[in-house]
Amino acid sequence: MRTGATILLKDGRCYQSYQWSQIRPLGSLQNIINSLEEYQCDEVAIIRLVRKDDCREALNIDLRLLQQVNTMTPLSFGGGIRVSDDLDLLTALPIERLIFSTAFINKNTDLLNQATQSYGRQAIQCLLPVKYSQGRIEIFNCQKNTFLAIDDVDFDYINTHANEVVLLDTQNEGLHDKFDKEIIKGIPLDENKLIISGGISHNIIRWAKEVNLASALIDNKVLHQEHSIMSYKHA
Amino acid sequence: MVVDIIDIGSGNIRSIQNWIERVHIATRVVTKATDIKSDFLILPGVGSAGSYMERLKKSAFDQAIHEHVQNNKRLLGICLGFQLMAESSEENGGIEGLSLLKGQVKRLDKKISHNGWENFNFKKEELSNQSFHSMCKLTRKKRLNGRVFFNHEYGYLNQDEQSFSKPISEKYPNHSSMVVKDKIIGMQFHPEKSQFTGLELISMIL
Repeated sequence: MRTGATILLKDGRCYQSYQWSQIRPLGSLQNIINSLEEYQCDEVAIIRLVRKDDCREALNIDLRLLQQVNTMTPLSFGGGIRVSDDLDLLTALPIERLIFSTAFINKNTDLLNQATQSYGRQAIQCLLPVKYSQGRIEIFNCQKNTFLAIDDVDFDYINTHANEVVLLDTQNEGLHDKFDKEIIKGIPLDENKLIISGGISHNIIRWAKEVNLASALIDNKVLHQEHSIMSYKHA
Repeated sequence: MVVDIIDIGSGNIRSIQNWIERVHIATRVVTKATDIKSDFLILPGVGSAGSYMERLKKSAFDQAIHEHVQNNKRLLGICLGFQLMAESSEENGGIEGLSLLKGQVKRLDKKISHNGWENFNFKKEELSNQSFHSMCKLTRKKRLNGRVFFNHEYGYLNQDEQSFSKPISEKYPNHSSMVVKDKIIGMQFHPEKSQFTGLELISMIL
């Protein structure tokens, strides 16, 4: 199983996030990635903080920053990639994998097919921000800024088009040892294509290895203490 | 020395440049087949095999790559770039490759893709039967122990006993992680995203 980190990006700056509501500035993207690479972080997911007010100019600012990143660590990137023209802006970036969220919720097959042509199917990841509450799972629709019932999401479609699926526990994002394992039980996808993020701890990583998940992405904890990625990897 | 990198509009060119330039070797991104000049050419590969091969042919890079090899110059293929050096790939319903290497590309498994890190141990002397070996002069380093990053759904099955082929892992013993034949080298993993091991490896093959 891979052990990586999640970095949030907004208007050319990195942030850490708490429970999908509060954000705090973090520092330079290059510095964060350098530190994670020094401690052999397996992968880094760079996710733009996107809500319904996202625009092309905000995307361009983040892309210009990402374009300058020099790293030998595998990167995935997503957030706000909504139309085919956006894909043309990504080819100069040092990234291997693309993360889509709204495109999977809205079943934007043209966009996903074009991304698959350009990057390969192995490069397509689906991000599902998830909330588990009172026995129910809800999925966040970034474009509409609202949660959907799990029954409104077509998991067969996701399974067909996504190589891996990132499940971000929105309620426990930024907290320690809080990732809700019930989320995995309620998502009808093979465990070996699932990546978890939000509330990750050593205990959660040990459990994730037992249930054969693809990867765990640590957020704030590892961004404060980059060296700790080594202990997470060997949890 | 300058390394030419083929660019047909696919991703990760910037990562390849960064990787080579970290060992203080200049790079040149080549967008026209007639502009290939270096003795060391890199064929990167991101995307689906059918679409990538179509673009290679459309821009006449397929012929240019063959001429480069016929002129006894070194060629490195990475990931899909490596796979397209095979005779054929079953991706996209089956496509013809560049036939620079005697082998086929097949789906790893219907439900599984291979995304992650594998141990990679390599001795330079293992290449002694290949002409590539005598041209590697950047370092005297002879042995590499590290790990490399894979992200693929299809894999190369080597059918040339004269070539050097290293298996991916115990789980994928028949698929090659690296193949060297004469002056051609293919890597299924992403050396440009393999951190310290990727740096050591490029210094051993340049």
